[in-house]
Amino acid sequence: MDDDPLERRAIDQVKAGDAGAYHYLVSKYTKRVASIAWNIVRNAADAEDLAQEAFVKAYESMGRFRANEPFGPWIYRIVTNLSLDVVKHRTRFRHEELDAAAPAARRDSADLHATSNEIAQRVDAALESLPEMQRVVARLSLVENFDHAEIAKMMKLSEGTVRSHLSLARAKLRQQLADLYE
Amino acid sequence: MSEDQFLDRLREDARQLQFEPDAFMTTRIAARVRARIEAAPTVSLFLARWLRPIAASLSALALVACVGVAWVEQHSTNGASLDSLSASNAMEISVDGDTYSVGY
Repeated sequence: MDDDPLERRAIDQVKAGDAGAYHYLVSKYTKRVASIAWNIVRNAADAEDLAQEAFVKAYESMGRFRANEPFGPWIYRIVTNLSLDVVKHRTRFRHEELDAAAPAARRDSADLHATSNEIAQRVDAALESLPEMQRVVARLSLVENFDHAEIAKMMKLSEGTVRSHLSLARAKLRQQLADLYE
Repeated sequence: MSEDQFLDRLREDARQLQFEPDAFMTTRIAARVRARIEAAPTVSLFLARWLRPIAASLSALALVACVGVAWVEQHSTNGASLDSLSASNAMEISVDGDTYSVGY
């Protein structure tokens, strides 16, 4: 975890009522927050809305945030939970939404640059074929590079559950991508 | 390939799947967050939102009380004026230089 004095100062200022200081935190974390949201919801427009919502929610609950803690894990947890809510909502209404239920088909042109080469596309497709929780845990681990403890906090799961999802996901990915990683 | 090697290579390839929002998106997010935060009520606005209806209710009560007191006072004044009205109804009759008062 990085110790950023500017971040600490911005948090103190926001807590003291200076809304303008929040811009530093938004600009520092926007890309990562949007990427986490995108990796869960797989749609650029939704990821943008979720990132925005997460920052506003974090600002509104700034009173509860402990100033000596890093802002990153907190905003990541917020955006992960908001994104998981969207995914759950989609799953509930999937029969109305899509017959094919192929998540990749929902991606718009803004998403395409994320998969710039063939291997990455294969990995992407393999990740998308995983069951929902395994998919999210695998993406947070493999794509976003969070460790088990961080993922557990972000998704409100135990570390054991995260390990279990990841282990199942890894086995399936190895099977699907056997020709790539011989 | 060992499990660790597989994981290392998988991570390396999966890293490319990180979403990179373009400058337009990051600017839009920042602008919208700023607009929503600035629209959020400050503590004084929040208090004012609660205190304003209370102040309005108290003002209305004070107005009603003033009207009520004025009406009661006017009502009791009307009672007093009846006496004076009755008194003013007294008639004076002069007969042969003598004046007689009729009434209260």
